[in-house]
Amino acid sequence: MLFKISISGIKARWKDYLVLFSGMIITTAIFYMFEAISTNDKFTTSSPVGQNAKIVFIFGSILLAIITLVYVFYANNFLMSMRKHDYGLFMMLGAKSGIISKLIILETIAIGLISSVVGIIIGIGFTQVLSHFLAKLIHMSLTNFSAFYMPAVWTTIIMFLVLFIVAGFLNARTFVKTSALELLHSGQQSDWKQPKSLTLWIQAILGVGLLAGGYYAMYDIQRLKLMAIAIGLFTIVLGTYFVFNSFFVMLLQAFQRSSLSTKGLNSFTLAQLKFRIRDYTKILSVVSLLFALALGAITVGTGFQNMVPKLASGNGYYSVAITNPNDRMNSLVNQIKDKSTITYQQKVDPQAKRVYYRADQLQQQPLKYSEFVDRAALKSKVSTSKLAEFKHVDSEAYQELSSLQIPKVKAYQIKVVSAQTFNQINTRTNKLLLVRANNMDAAATPLTKITNIQSKQYGDQNGQLVGGSFTMYQLLKSVFGSLEFMGIFLGIAFLAMLASCLMFKILSGAASDKVRFDMLNKIGTRRAVLNRSIIVQILGLFALPGILGIIDVAFGLQMFSRGGLLVGGAYQTFGITTLGFLILYLIYFAVTVLIYSRIVVPKTKVER
Amino acid sequence: MTTKIVQTEDLHKTYDKDSAKPYEALKGISLSVNEGEFVGIMGASGSGKTTLLNILATLDQPTSGSVEIDGQDVTHLTANQMADFRSKKLGFIFQDFNLLETLTAQENIALPLSLQNAKAATIQTAVKTAAGKLGIEDLLGKYPTQLSGGQKQRVAAARALVSNPSIIFGDEPTGALDSTNARELLDTLTNINQQGVSILLVTHDPFSASFCKRILFIKDGKIGDEIDAGDKSRNEFYQEILEKLGTFEQ
Repeated sequence: MLFKISISGIKARWKDYLVLFSGMIITTAIFYMFEAISTNDKFTTSSPVGQNAKIVFIFGSILLAIITLVYVFYANNFLMSMRKHDYGLFMMLGAKSGIISKLIILETIAIGLISSVVGIIIGIGFTQVLSHFLAKLIHMSLTNFSAFYMPAVWTTIIMFLVLFIVAGFLNARTFVKTSALELLHSGQQSDWKQPKSLTLWIQAILGVGLLAGGYYAMYDIQRLKLMAIAIGLFTIVLGTYFVFNSFFVMLLQAFQRSSLSTKGLNSFTLAQLKFRIRDYTKILSVVSLLFALALGAITVGTGFQNMVPKLASGNGYYSVAITNPNDRMNSLVNQIKDKSTITYQQKVDPQAKRVYYRADQLQQQPLKYSEFVDRAALKSKVSTSKLAEFKHVDSEAYQELSSLQIPKVKAYQIKVVSAQTFNQINTRTNKLLLVRANNMDAAATPLTKITNIQSKQYGDQNGQLVGGSFTMYQLLKSVFGSLEFMGIFLGIAFLAMLASCLMFKILSGAASDKVRFDMLNKIGTRRAVLNRSIIVQILGLFALPGILGIIDVAFGLQMFSRGGLLVGGAYQTFGITTLGFLILYLIYFAVTVLIYSRIVVPKTKVER
Repeated sequence: MTTKIVQTEDLHKTYDKDSAKPYEALKGISLSVNEGEFVGIMGASGSGKTTLLNILATLDQPTSGSVEIDGQDVTHLTANQMADFRSKKLGFIFQDFNLLETLTAQENIALPLSLQNAKAATIQTAVKTAAGKLGIEDLLGKYPTQLSGGQKQRVAAARALVSNPSIIFGDEPTGALDSTNARELLDTLTNINQQGVSILLVTHDPFSASFCKRILFIKDGKIGDEIDAGDKSRNEFYQEILEKLGTFEQ
């Protein structure tokens, strides 16, 4: 009987359950996706830094598990806030607490199981799409990678099942301890206490001071070394907490005292927001820190990626060198739009281990080479070689030309001779085609094909010994590529989790706000005014941790640029990643506003 | 001639009109409340008194019939017009106070005026006046959690009064109070009424009802009976209500 009532209770609120389920399913999907990619050997070992990447992936996976825990906890609270009234009623009707406990545990586990299974299926789809999308983005090959990975399925199922069993028992315990009456009237109590102004002042000053200290520590990483990270972690976490608990509250109080607060629902909106911020201090702090971590991960990841072309072109002026290009090669070279090319004649004498070039050709079309003038800023300078330079083995020009030979000839001595002498050498004349792509990112596809053909042609040398800076570009791409992949991946996963956590925390408070909005409707507040108030309140809860998170990243990036990890400046991709991040965050905000309004704003009973 | 503050003509309200089992909550109610009157509406649960109150308070619209409040037909207003009408012309006192815990008493009382975008100075004066009428000037800076049940209900009454409404609707306003505080609130309402404010009280509590000057009994969606306090003492009127309830409910 109770089971029947229970099911009908769920049916009546299926829209709210839909929200809960979609949140749970997305969480499971993200967790699966992360597990599938991080634990999949085929993925991690296919990149040169696979082992290092794996450690970072495991670290990320642990972080994700912790956030998932918090998420399941909040989602569960949301679930219980919907069911409290029903369970209270059952107890009122005389249901024994044992039966209620069983019902709660079963319901929680059933929800966990359904969402895990659906989540994994969707997760496999996500993994397929996202891994290919990202691999394409960073020119990484994922030939052996499969989105379905059994160990990841098991990890996900076990993780979520354990979480839900624990959650089920915890729910049951709280319910059995609460009286039926309290359950029936839950959500009608509020424990707002006006904080003392002295405490507020002390905490606000402490909070801002700690944050400033943390930011300074990250800025001064060159002197503080590892201590900077330790200090930063400690002061920023504590500072964030205090800033939410006091600084923002004081800010809102200042607004409340201004004449602004007497207009419309402003006094209500400001007071609600103030109350919420203090009530949500912990989750807002966590959201702000996670926001910073996620945005930081994406920015640093894309920052690394961004410096690849610069690093590569500083290491050599020509992108590829092709000896005796055939038609296929020529057509590939023609696919490169923005380029410059030079062709030299060349004769190889394997006995003497010498390569001959014509002086007149090197005179008419001088070889160019590039060298770094400022390594920290990734600034390189292009120089034009003089004929005399080829006499010295250690000259830049000689080294550049030497590096552009085919692997077998690289060790040979380069001799620049007159056209007459060149013609007298009794071997085949080779053609050396040097191609400079001015935009390596844009020309990546034909260049990759060229180097692939070359590495086949010259044996399995991993493509590294083929001449030209593009091989360097590829090497750096694969190193930084996995860093970027992980950065973006972790970033999106964190964002989805933190925004969902915040969403459910806000939504689980909706039930108790219903009474307030009902009263406001009765005393004559227009629907549009109610909706505006909701938007401002939820915007405040989303924006404040977001702003603080962005500030955290803005300072945190100092560690990378001043610490010398991200050469060429860590801020290049900051703007664009922040924008992309904010768009995703805004979607969550909009969804929260929609659901919240649906729950709290009274329906206008206008017929016709 | 006395002005009529509330006048309804043949009010009908049917729920689930288009379904197989429509439910008729109001079956033709005609009533009127004169300016300065203190009227009570009594009836058992399901008699239709909450539906009636919701329609009178422009929270709901009748299926047919007309409602005029302060000379204005309110049955054909848009949602926004209804909201504005409520904020300007009507005051509410609810059973569970419905004060906002995060606002001080002062801010709670000021809310209806803020909604009308009144000037800060106007709000200040109006809040002081309303607080003065209810004797809660000292409580203005306090939060609801710092107030007793009776004090909260007086703050709620001040909020209902602050915009000088044409009429105050009370929905079981003493329901959450102990007898002392209930008595105090009813005395306050009587006092407000004597200053010329019309009050319409919905209750099922005979004691609360005995403070009214006229009582309408609703049964099965119709007005079944009506009694007038006339010159009777409150105690005599209370006895009369009890007797009436005894016969009326059968």
